[in-house]
Amino acid sequence: MSRNNIKIFSGALVCEGSKLRGDITVGSGTIIHPSATVIAEAGPIVIGENCLIEEQAKIIHRVPFDQQNKENIPILMIGVHNVFEVDCTVEASKIGNNNVFEPKCFVGSRVTVTNGCTIGAGCHITEEQILNENISICGAKCQMREGLDKPAPQNLQMETLLKMLPNYHYIKKPNMKQQV
Amino acid sequence: MSYITGPEYVRYACTCGLLKSLPNLYFCRHCSQLRCGFCVCPEVDSIFCGKCSENIPSAEAKVKKNKCANCLICPSCQQDLSTRIASKGVVNPDDSKSPAKKTYYLSCYFCGWNSRDVGIPDQTSPTGGWPERENVHSNRLQELLDSYKQIMLSQKQQKENDKKKKFGKFVSYTDRTGITASALRKRIGIPDIPHAMLRKPKLPESSTATTEVEELPDKFFTQEIDLLEVTTIEQRLLQPESQPVTVDKLFPAHKQLSIKKSLRCRHCERNVSKPEYNPNSIKFKIQLFAYYHIPEVRLVKVGDLKRGQPCEIIIKFTNPTQHQTTITILNLDLAEQERYVEEQQMMDISENLEVLSLQFKQPTSLPSLPGSQPSSLLSLPPRQPHLTIKSRKIKQTVNSTVEIPQSVFILPPRDDAAEYDDSNDTHNIEDDSNLVIWRKSNKVCIKLLVNIHEGETIGEEVFCGFTMDHVYTNIIAANFENKQPQKLNHKVRIFLNLGKM
Repeated sequence: MSRNNIKIFSGALVCEGSKLRGDITVGSGTIIHPSATVIAEAGPIVIGENCLIEEQAKIIHRVPFDQQNKENIPILMIGVHNVFEVDCTVEASKIGNNNVFEPKCFVGSRVTVTNGCTIGAGCHITEEQILNENISICGAKCQMREGLDKPAPQNLQMETLLKMLPNYHYIKKPNMKQQV
Repeated sequence: MSYITGPEYVRYACTCGLLKSLPNLYFCRHCSQLRCGFCVCPEVDSIFCGKCSENIPSAEAKVKKNKCANCLICPSCQQDLSTRIASKGVVNPDDSKSPAKKTYYLSCYFCGWNSRDVGIPDQTSPTGGWPERENVHSNRLQELLDSYKQIMLSQKQQKENDKKKKFGKFVSYTDRTGITASALRKRIGIPDIPHAMLRKPKLPESSTATTEVEELPDKFFTQEIDLLEVTTIEQRLLQPESQPVTVDKLFPAHKQLSIKKSLRCRHCERNVSKPEYNPNSIKFKIQLFAYYHIPEVRLVKVGDLKRGQPCEIIIKFTNPTQHQTTITILNLDLAEQERYVEEQQMMDISENLEVLSLQFKQPTSLPSLPGSQPSSLLSLPPRQPHLTIKSRKIKQTVNSTVEIPQSVFILPPRDDAAEYDDSNDTHNIEDDSNLVIWRKSNKVCIKLLVNIHEGETIGEEVFCGFTMDHVYTNIIAANFENKQPQKLNHKVRIFLNLGKM
């Protein structure tokens, strides 16, 4: 693995115990729990503002299986207000805003996630597809349904975490100024 | 947990001849026999709603079609729906201090469905008053129900009339004169009104078959199907009266009630499992699982399975009871079980013959006593027990034999504290070192030799079996009569799947 190049904007809360590899940019207001993993293997990862990445969550930017070199691989852009819950694995090629990845779900590298999607607990999504807006997937059969609205943001939880986490964990210092 | 759900390598033969793993078996303390799910009689103890934990009497549940009146489930994923609060402005916009107006809607935390998706208006009270959907066929269904009830009534009446006729030829004095009531009415000139019960029940209008069916719309051929719009089979069958085809017609359904069931031994009619009545409790009043009474056998290690040479297997015995037990390994002896089953069958046949002969005797011994009960009722034994399960032969064949050890071994009682106590691991039990290879608290590992039969091919699964004879301490009799606990030898046939050769 090449050297790490991690940019953390002020206002973001990245715990020291998290595992960040490669070229990663963390937007302000984003919380990364200890023992969460973000690996920018194929190319840079840009995480938007106010995302929540919980324990054991894994966000991996992989080189596709049918590709040998790392050329022509776009940046993995993750939008704002996304929630990555405990022990989810997300390898999606593009992630929009306001998505929720519930515990132990798996999203493969051929999937494009747009906005307001909910991937239910334990659901495995691997086929090449573009998830439309406000899709929610749940159950053992990965049943899909389209909602009217995006899932509610977890503002209260984020506020609590912003207060509580620095009391018990070492925090990586933000090295970038507030985005304009 | 994988032990409970995983493949069944060790199976116990139930008294009825079926093979089950230990957690699937019960042990009737009164008969001192193993009972499987088929040898017990399930009974509904109580009916309750799993969400609001309310006990519902069975008559009420029947009226409500076994659905909870208050709890609703998600029509999309069949999980419980929960009520959510939404504030909608203030009650009085002019007064700045007036409280916020609260409205409630239903939402599913699992799949994200909510009542606003299908246009159900928000409610002002949290307990609901959610609009029920009218069944379009309800009139027709009611009509059918009513007419069948009438048919039932009139048939009942018919039967009673038939019975009455046996009493005597003449029911009333008018009958004696040869003029019936209806004939009398006709003679006087009053229109004849048949008896209310004798009236022919009005049959409902029969539905008519039609050959004209609506043409299939072209859109099914021309338009691409949007799976997000179409409901699944489960979603449709959840609402049998409307069976919505598209997701925008899904309405919340009432939650199905659950039951608590008790199990009764079919032989002695005593309970082997009885849950507590309170729906909040998950405990049992009576819980005679074999897991708590019969020593548990687990495969620890299986050596090389080769034909022509003995294979060494190590199995572990665990004593779950509070009493010391002695275990003897005996021959499987399937022939004995077969003999037992045949004996039972013979007994059954002879019993049946007795019953039959009784039935034949009855009519001759009781020559047409007026008003007597039908003879078939008399011939029945005073109280027929529940349907008893006949034992059958064990179907499992074994293709290897276990070399039966000469010595026996002792299993100490279970001691929950022993797990935390490392000091006293010394026990004064003299073991046959050829048999017992390891021992700790209530667990013992023994070594057995297995010979695979001649003529078995490679790749075949090897089964072996033995009879475990253990001393079972029955404390029921002791409790009743203040006697010493009764000790008896209980035998179980155990089958092991050793894997492929």
